Amino acid sequence: MGKKDIEAALGRGVDILNEFLPLKSWLFFPILYSACVWAVRRVFDFRARILAWQVWLDPDIVRTKPDEFVLNFFCGDEALGREYADEIARRDIRVLRTAFPALYPIFGLEDAFLKALFRPEIESADYRAIVIEFASRTAKARDDIRPAAGDPEFWKALELIGMEAASLGLHLLKDAEVQNIIVALVKKPAGAAPAMPPDA
Amino acid sequence: MKRRFFRAAVLALAFALSVSCLAHLRRAKQYYAEGQDHARAFRADRAVASWKKALDEADRECLRKPSAQAFTVKGLAETNLGRWREAEASFLKAFSLGFGPGEAWASDAALAGLASSFEELGLEAPALRIYAQLLDKSAFKPALMAAAEKRTNLILARITDLDPGEKARTLAGLNKTLDKLLDRDFACGLYHYLHAQVDGHLGDLRRSYEEAVMAGELGLPSEKILRDNDNQLVYCYFKLKDALLPAEWDAFAAAHASWAKKWGWRDDRTPAWKKE
Repeated sequence: MGKKDIEAALGRGVDILNEFLPLKSWLFFPILYSACVWAVRRVFDFRARILAWQVWLDPDIVRTKPDEFVLNFFCGDEALGREYADEIARRDIRVLRTAFPALYPIFGLEDAFLKALFRPEIESADYRAIVIEFASRTAKARDDIRPAAGDPEFWKALELIGMEAASLGLHLLKDAEVQNIIVALVKKPAGAAPAMPPDA
Repeated sequence: MKRRFFRAAVLALAFALSVSCLAHLRRAKQYYAEGQDHARAFRADRAVASWKKALDEADRECLRKPSAQAFTVKGLAETNLGRWREAEASFLKAFSLGFGPGEAWASDAALAGLASSFEELGLEAPALRIYAQLLDKSAFKPALMAAAEKRTNLILARITDLDPGEKARTLAGLNKTLDKLLDRDFACGLYHYLHAQVDGHLGDLRRSYEEAVMAGELGLPSEKILRDNDNQLVYCYFKLKDALLPAEWDAFAAAHASWAKKWGWRDDRTPAWKKE
């Protein structure tokens, strides 16, 4: 049991996703990565966990925060603090409040699916692009995942993959390693497809 | 003999029709409840299908035997399907028909639904009045919790536009309402969470921290709120570090460390779900 076995299990996961979500390979990474996150924690109610981000788009909870909380959120995160240093120095709450609804669910509430959905921007520290893309990309993800999300077989298959990967020692790998394995599998020629939404 | 047969036939027909009417309302409620279950489990497609069936059954019931309950269920289904105008009309119709004794829960559900449709149509003032009335009078916990959350969020969303004096008065009023709710039901984690949010706006971070601790301990309705509550605890922790005197801070930090250990946090500032 080792990295190779885990790779093989996640490879089967990619094949399964190909069956349930044909031509939607840009969603494979967020789905499979969030399944891995919950599998490591031995929480297998994947449907509720993976789709929780849809509830987190609820604006009520983010539009009611006091300015100090918003400011503290940006100051408390090293990378965001760097990116928004000028706005923080000027206490430009208007700009920070505009960015907050997109960045708080990802960096504040740490949803695994959303983190994976915006991985390219997070890796390149292009946080302002997340703010611009957030509404359209999450809306597209919601639409594209709908056909599979209604099928109980999809969740059963995903749970089996998660359980298999967990039993093979998924928890021994670093988070970045898991991400890299999935990204490499999704990018393989057999499943050659964009890791980004086609019109994003 | 003929007359007796006719009377029996009429009675049978009346019985069949009333059973059929009852069946429509019962089925409408059943489909609506199924839709709620599907929605909670994030099965959006199935939830929408169930609410459509509930609406269909409620429509039939409204045509055959209009009642406040039938229009309430119709309005609730329409609310969940995003048909705000129709929902508003259904709830108003329910009130025009009047609720019978023992139907207070239905009346409160219709009021909450009406407020929600007003809110969606941009009519925030009447929505706030209805939420306030529910908080004052309702004994139906789901309606109370919905009204408390919606009213608090609506008011907090507008608080930044107010001048400092009015802001302080509004926040104090909000807390007074939440205190009353806590007097009635101290074990409701959601009320403590909302209190912690309002205290955060007031700058009373000690109280905000205490309320957030109680909210976490008593349980919260969703993981989203639970995580947000944890973030509120961390926010208060950092702010209090700057605000408290050294001796006070030491005592506070020691208490917080024992809570963090109990909750299985990675350290005093990192909840277990962070950095997955």
